[in-house]
Amino acid sequence: MSDARRCSRVVWWVLIALLASRQPEVLASDILAAIHKRGELLWGADAEGGAPYVYPDPQKPEQLIGFEHDLADALAAHLGVKARMVQNQWDQLIPALERGNFDIILNGLELTVEHRQRISMSQPYYVYAEQIVTRKDTTGLVRLETLKGKPVGVLSSTVAQRLLEKMGGTDLRIYPGNVESLRDLKARRIEAVLMDLPIALHYAKPDPELSFSGEPFAPGYYGIGVRQQDLQLLVALNQAFTDFARDGTFERIYRKYGLWDTRQETLKDYRPETVFERKPVSTLREWPKYLPLLLRGAAVTVELSVLAMALAVVAGLVVVLVRLYAPVPLNWLARAYVEVIRGTPLLIQLFLIYYGLPEIGIRLNPFFAGIVGLGLNYAASESENYRAGIQSIPRGQTEAAQALGMNRWQSLRHVVLPQALRVVIPPVTNDFIAMFKDSSIVSVITMVELTKVYGMLAMSTYDYIGLGLMTAAIYFALSYPASLLADRLEKSLSYDHR
Amino acid sequence: MIIVENLVKSYRSNCVLHGIDHTQKRGEAVVLIGPSGCGKSTFLRCLNQLEIPDAGRITIGGVTIAGGQPPRTAKEKDQQRQLRLRAGMVFQSFNLFPHLTVLDNVTCGPRIVKAMAKEDAETLARELLGKVGLENKADSYPGQLSGGQQQRVAIARALAMQPEVMLFDEPTSALDPELREEVLKVMRNLVEDGMTMIVVTHEMQFAREVADRVLFFDAGRIAEEGPPEQVFSNPQHQRTREFLNRVATR
Repeated sequence: MSDARRCSRVVWWVLIALLASRQPEVLASDILAAIHKRGELLWGADAEGGAPYVYPDPQKPEQLIGFEHDLADALAAHLGVKARMVQNQWDQLIPALERGNFDIILNGLELTVEHRQRISMSQPYYVYAEQIVTRKDTTGLVRLETLKGKPVGVLSSTVAQRLLEKMGGTDLRIYPGNVESLRDLKARRIEAVLMDLPIALHYAKPDPELSFSGEPFAPGYYGIGVRQQDLQLLVALNQAFTDFARDGTFERIYRKYGLWDTRQETLKDYRPETVFERKPVSTLREWPKYLPLLLRGAAVTVELSVLAMALAVVAGLVVVLVRLYAPVPLNWLARAYVEVIRGTPLLIQLFLIYYGLPEIGIRLNPFFAGIVGLGLNYAASESENYRAGIQSIPRGQTEAAQALGMNRWQSLRHVVLPQALRVVIPPVTNDFIAMFKDSSIVSVITMVELTKVYGMLAMSTYDYIGLGLMTAAIYFALSYPASLLADRLEKSLSYDHR
Repeated sequence: MIIVENLVKSYRSNCVLHGIDHTQKRGEAVVLIGPSGCGKSTFLRCLNQLEIPDAGRITIGGVTIAGGQPPRTAKEKDQQRQLRLRAGMVFQSFNLFPHLTVLDNVTCGPRIVKAMAKEDAETLARELLGKVGLENKADSYPGQLSGGQQQRVAIARALAMQPEVMLFDEPTSALDPELREEVLKVMRNLVEDGMTMIVVTHEMQFAREVADRVLFFDAGRIAEEGPPEQVFSNPQHQRTREFLNRVATR
């Protein structure tokens, strides 16, 4: 589908080029015409953990609220249409905009050089600043520099992340959402969270265990993101914001959510700066700069996969032995374990282990939680592999062992398991290779492995293809030797063709 | 040596053995014949507890087990193990361990079950492999042997436990006719050595030559028994005559 879309986009551009030379004003208004025809302004945002920007009303969860929700309504009204929110993961908003999933991004998107190289951005609608949040009992972490050497949480792909990366020296933990970082702060896994002030006002301020540390700093602007070709829409949005700053629409909305401060007065006086040119980066041509970063991620992937698989292989054996040979209540437990693990998503299991267990006093670090989560999950499928292997051994083998006087354990240990091992090697190797890829899911508990590194680099360079090729090549270089090794192991263990 | 009293076994509601009584002296070779599904194999499998009989008593070499329940306590399990140690079993489909060499197939019983030292077990195994004519195949894997050779290894494997009784469950039925003789020859030698044996077989010629006594099984009962010349030449029972006629014309 994306190919077809790309094709149609090429055709589209050709048409634009032809028409643009004659009647630019007609064509440029096309997006506005489309919005009017549709009667809806589609705005992309992430309502998951999205307060106070846009989030489900706690009183009426089927309804969205938030200052950006109100702002979207005001904007749509200004354009003479209705607003409709399109849910999209926050750090994928820009690619989704370019794919045409919605007309604008209205979701705390900072007016930064990086963003402007990729898309067009409106004049600002909110002035934010960065706020350090700590636990009540923490002192001294009042400025950016004081965070050096400390474990600090940030939201993925935010200005806060870039500020800390630029400064260096902190133990940076990158979270997929705002709630998770504050939870880990309270769980003492990290010492501080650096976040945009509106988020801090909503989530951290009311929390009695947390406090604001120092003054807000590094002010910046939120703006609306639009596709570069949609200039007419950009002009209309800028006009709307100029009006909102003058007629008090901004103030009315921001006061409603407790977000109004004196900084917002400056929105009236904003003068557009020069528009940045988009500078494409070729990461393939500059591979010496990017490959080492990807390889460092790959090392984490390998470590995690190998340790998790080791756990899975051993735990799976215990599970299958209990299931097949233990007395009644125990074997039911083993069976229930397999069914529950297989019947629930790995993502939920990881969340429960990482965020749920601290509630009962078990606090695992992200690496260990990842190993335990992946390992226990795969243990269920390994135990099923083993079960198939054990049950494929003919009954006569066990009978022959029994007839020699072996007890159940001896016949398992010396007759059944050594034969089952050979049957089981191919499916277990397949799982090991799958583990390399599945391990990318641990990025949700702040682990930075290969896929996460790819995502972060892609977000900052916008070279999805070059980085994607490099990343895919690394994954292949990891899994192919594993399957070669399995082939050899299988051959060297086979007894039929010796 | 072997005393079986009132052995009863049924699967679900289907009664397979209707109270078998059987007594056998040391060194006696007994051959069981009879139509398929008459209970011969089940009888043999009950003797070494691969099947748990529903009722009755089995005594082999002074070890007695009563039917009813599978063993639960450590003492019952030990009793079962003692019985199995006294009865070596040879299966129709050999059931050699394919992942072990011929030598290891023969030594694994003594080493694992009796904790015999490796050297002793191997000396014993090579001696037994010599007895079945396969000393040069010690390092082969079962998959590399013919069916007849595999069955001879299986006999050596059972003998390695130094049982007092050998049970053969249709040992040549899975073999091509030209491979049967090598197995039967090994069995004849065992009889000559004075081994106590029970053989379930369709090899009438073999039964006639080596059996001290022939038992004709029919519908879960011993319908007729006696020395081979009597059972084969002058069968008393109508069913026996029918069976022998069928076998002879085959």
